[in-house]
Amino acid sequence: MSAVDPVLASVLQRRLRAITQEMGLTLLRTTRSPILNEARDFVTGLYDAQGRILEQAEYIPILAFALAPACRAVLEAFGDDVHPGDVFLHNDVFSGGNQHNDVAVFRPVFHEGRLVAWAATKGHQADIGGAQAGGYNPKATEVWQEALRIPPLRIVERGRPLRDVWRLVLANVRLPIVAEDLRAQIGGTVVGERGVLEVYRRHGAATVERHLDFLFDAAERRMRSELRRIPDGTYRGESTVFYDGHHPGSRHRIVVTIDKRGSDIAFDYTGTDPQTVGFVNAPYASSFSAAILTLLMLVDPDLPHNAGILRPLRVHIPRGTILNAEFPAATTFGNTLAGPHSDAIFRALAPALPDRVSAGWNRMLGMTVTGLDPRRGRRYVDILFLALKGGSGAVRGLDGYDHIGLINTAGGLLAQDYEMLEVHTPHRLRRHEYLPDSAGPGRWRGGLGVETEFEVQGADVTGVVFGDGVDEEARAFGLFGGGPGALNAIELATPDGAIVVPRSKDVVAIPRGTVFRQRAGGGGGFGEPRERPAETVAAEVRDGVLSPEAARRDYGVEVHPGTFAVERVTGRPRP
Amino acid sequence: MTYRIGVDVGGTFTDFLLQPAVGRPRAVKVPSTPADPTDGVFAGLAEMATGESRSLGEFLGDVELIVHGTTITTNAVLTGDVARVGLLTTRGFRDALAMRRGIREAQYDNRCRAPEPLVPRWLRLPVTERVDATGAVLAPLDDVDVHDALARFAAVGVEAVAVCFLHAWANPAHEVAAERLATAALPGAYVTRSSAILPQIRFTERVSTTVLNAAVGPVLGRYLDRLTTRLTLTGFRGTLLVMQSNGGVAAPATARAAAASTLLSGPAAAPTAGGAYTAAHGLRDFITVDMGGTSFDVCLVKDGAAALTAEGRIGRYPFGLPMLAIHTIGAGGGSIAWIDEGGLLRVGPRSAGAAPGPACYARGGTAPTCTDADLLLGRLDPAGLLGGRLRLDPVAARGALEGLAARLGLGVEAAAAGVVDVIDANMAAGIRHVTVERGHDPRGLVLVVAGGAGPVHAAGIAGELGIARILVPRDSSIFCAAGMLFTDLRHDLVRTLVAPVDALDADRLRRLCAALARDGHAALAEDGVPETRRALALGCDVRYVGQYHELTVPLLAEEAEAGDLSGVAKRFHEAHDRLYGYALPDTPLELVNVRAVATGLVDRPRLPEVAPGAAEAARRGRRRAWLAPERAFHEVDRYDGLGLGAGARLAGPALVELPLTTVVVPPAWRLETDRHGSFVLEPA
Repeated sequence: MSAVDPVLASVLQRRLRAITQEMGLTLLRTTRSPILNEARDFVTGLYDAQGRILEQAEYIPILAFALAPACRAVLEAFGDDVHPGDVFLHNDVFSGGNQHNDVAVFRPVFHEGRLVAWAATKGHQADIGGAQAGGYNPKATEVWQEALRIPPLRIVERGRPLRDVWRLVLANVRLPIVAEDLRAQIGGTVVGERGVLEVYRRHGAATVERHLDFLFDAAERRMRSELRRIPDGTYRGESTVFYDGHHPGSRHRIVVTIDKRGSDIAFDYTGTDPQTVGFVNAPYASSFSAAILTLLMLVDPDLPHNAGILRPLRVHIPRGTILNAEFPAATTFGNTLAGPHSDAIFRALAPALPDRVSAGWNRMLGMTVTGLDPRRGRRYVDILFLALKGGSGAVRGLDGYDHIGLINTAGGLLAQDYEMLEVHTPHRLRRHEYLPDSAGPGRWRGGLGVETEFEVQGADVTGVVFGDGVDEEARAFGLFGGGPGALNAIELATPDGAIVVPRSKDVVAIPRGTVFRQRAGGGGGFGEPRERPAETVAAEVRDGVLSPEAARRDYGVEVHPGTFAVERVTGRPRP
Repeated sequence: MTYRIGVDVGGTFTDFLLQPAVGRPRAVKVPSTPADPTDGVFAGLAEMATGESRSLGEFLGDVELIVHGTTITTNAVLTGDVARVGLLTTRGFRDALAMRRGIREAQYDNRCRAPEPLVPRWLRLPVTERVDATGAVLAPLDDVDVHDALARFAAVGVEAVAVCFLHAWANPAHEVAAERLATAALPGAYVTRSSAILPQIRFTERVSTTVLNAAVGPVLGRYLDRLTTRLTLTGFRGTLLVMQSNGGVAAPATARAAAASTLLSGPAAAPTAGGAYTAAHGLRDFITVDMGGTSFDVCLVKDGAAALTAEGRIGRYPFGLPMLAIHTIGAGGGSIAWIDEGGLLRVGPRSAGAAPGPACYARGGTAPTCTDADLLLGRLDPAGLLGGRLRLDPVAARGALEGLAARLGLGVEAAAAGVVDVIDANMAAGIRHVTVERGHDPRGLVLVVAGGAGPVHAAGIAGELGIARILVPRDSSIFCAAGMLFTDLRHDLVRTLVAPVDALDADRLRRLCAALARDGHAALAEDGVPETRRALALGCDVRYVGQYHELTVPLLAEEAEAGDLSGVAKRFHEAHDRLYGYALPDTPLELVNVRAVATGLVDRPRLPEVAPGAAEAARRGRRRAWLAPERAFHEVDRYDGLGLGAGARLAGPALVELPLTTVVVPPAWRLETDRHGSFVLEPA
């Protein structure tokens, strides 16, 4: 019997997704680094024997679509020399990786002696060597200054850890928690292996694989029917990347030409500027991920995410450009280029898909800090996620999402819980609230950004600033009459009374007792602000997220300071 | 003669199971009375008294136990009809409630809206104070800030105050002080502090849970006040217990203080009830579905137990109190059919509820509902429900559906059939959510069906999902009310003790466990549970040093007595490997909390058995009815459900009529009555 049972297909798809989520629980519940267990900066996935995506838990999409290329790199490197109980490590950006700190662990799954699948986890490790603790080295001009490169590397053979290999890897990493968190990643792949084997045992290999083929085809059909809804045409979009970290004032263009014919779509980045000398470059896998995650926001969000959805898609990124830097370029800024990259795609498709594109998302500005926690005498690394999460762009019919964070994560990145942060990191929070007037004005406003303030109580603290959204032109753009979101900013009030404003790509020493202040800007607005209902504007003044001045200036609404009633409306179109 | 009563106040009906000390239990169902739900409760009590040929006062005097579940708090949150709450919180952090850590659940969906926070920003007021994670006070509580905030609350008629300060889990002093000020400044307001409702680290969950509690506190309080007053005045001297979301019951004072623990009060009895009825068939894996007037609740039971979660959500609000994993969608007999902007037929989630109710209730409702469609299609007996006391008006049902049919360009019967198809598909999707989407194949599971509308639609839903076995308890329409009489009292207790597992002070552990036991016994004593009926289970929250999360593993009483955690360590390593794929036997362990579940065992009523009998004896003639999954009209045999004895068998198509519902048996299905009188449906 070779028929496909559509119900079983559906059960299998959900079962595989549930397995990837269970794998995710291992990382969420058992890791030591708050980057993993608080911010959820990891993904898990299952791949077939050829490395094609079966299902993923895409908490951070920019990592997710870089797992399949890395899986293929492992397959190419080891071929038939893959055995039950093996475990492979990978992070190399020149063989399918997206960023060095995002370390992948792969486990082959064998059923009745045959390789049937791969279980994989990829997580942002607190450190992976290189010149700068925590991984962001704005001074790097080549890959070796950034991190330990791990091409496909066997670390467990037939269930036996290869201790010498482990020692070599860990000898190049600063923090002992990385060893423990890699163990957690390996544990996650065991959960995946058990789940897949259970599925194979219950249904038999032939039935499972027949249905997996069906699932690929079904996902492709759904993707194609979504793509047919985009009008045929050639669409061009651009955006700018600011400052390469070496040449103040430098600007770099991203150019995308999207060609949509029938149910096929091609992204061509010809015309994009050459790679920079510094780390403001992306490896191919990161740029490929960015293109897909942006496209996925323009189609039905309920599409199953397996390899089938990629079939109608072509992505051409010329080598040697900022989005596909050639060996041995530095590339750690690559994930962050997803911001300007998606801006270019939204701009290109706005005329064709005015009901689906969003206005610009806040381009993130972040800081990674490393230092010594004097309470424990241990070194720590933290990416200040709660401070960098700005607002998303508005869409037709809906305000942007407040405090959602960088587009790379599509809303999957969590801000740290305040109390957990203070227990595990020597930072004392003073404020973390919505930033008034940060949303781009519009008939539908952008998402709100946040303001954050805390006192650094760690010792020997170094901060690395990365991201953008500090130049006027990098504000989250508005669409169809909507205005841009507020800018990002970081400043440090040091104990000696000085105010230091670090630039993006600066490395700064932060004395103990420094007060860190950050503003993460909002998203762009959509549609004419003066069409926004006056009562909605007044309610936001009452809530204190919109100042009376901004209500007057941007929306033409005068609000009574005591009752918050609408007093006067000016400059409105006639009803 | 003494009695026990289970009461389940739903959005549309209030259900009762009366269990006399001797004799058969009796199911009663009356319309709910949303304006004052106690009216419905008393209508049911009066009916039971009449049935026992007693005055209400005499009857209530002999009732020793009333176990009470209610959807009052759930419905309040889901409809947004909650108390006006003011939140006092640490200055600088007033938006945590709305931010929810910046998560967007539907990741790629740029049309996903964040849920409206239960307290608007202008009522989330900051006060100056600060405590750190060790409990040390960094800044004292500024009373002036608190007074100013409370004055603003008073000016706008705030009914409840939530107090949630940073690190109050480590030191509740500021919260206690603010609570005192709030209670004094706003007499009559319901005041909740986070350190009382959920004294655990993690601000996001704590502030959300505290606000949920404040939002439903006044709603539940008003209701329980009125209920207990009326019961006492009418002569009730027994024990009143309230069903909790954790699947246990608690005394009213406990429920009142932790009102949010009743957020799943109604449906939480379903897994227990399901277990009682499926035990006769030796089944431990099943799905309970409860289709009432307004909502459809689904719960998956695997290996006899429903999953409990402490990371639940009510709507999309994080909720930290333990609760059963029950999935609810807006589908019920009262669900209103409508046509969306795209011209598609939709049913629900809006419901005609109890008032005005479906058009066929002839109480002023004009909107077409699922029940109207069922009646028009001959799937309900026009002679009515509740033994004819609730007559159904087919003319009114037809009138309500005609408008819908015209807009769809269909005949009225085809439109009614469409309504049934759509709602069955919606409910099937609800079941998929707890089965298929979590990787369980529903086809191997038994569907245990409850609620007044459940048995009418069960076969249609099962057909959608390929489920091949349905169990309809004879008292299915009051399923949860019955389950409540099987439910034990339960108190969840926790105390924090952070210490290395291999160097634990045995005395300290012993003292702490003794204290937990004392508290558990005291709570159960207050509930009136005799010592012989109490059980206490201990557990430890343990983690590897450096981890952020713990696993709870059992702690045996003798281990607690000996202060020996080696068994706990072994169980932890095993559980860690089972759940997370690895264990680190050489890594030191850290104890974080010791927990106790104090259970007061109830005398479970025995399910009565019915006498054997053949189906033929219960035949009542025929009626024309439309049936899923064939989607066609059939001449259908009718049976008196109460007349079907144990072992009775019949073949579909058939309608088995019960006082409170109708079991629809489609063509190519058959029905058999088990020894308790439950109906088992299977494909022929």
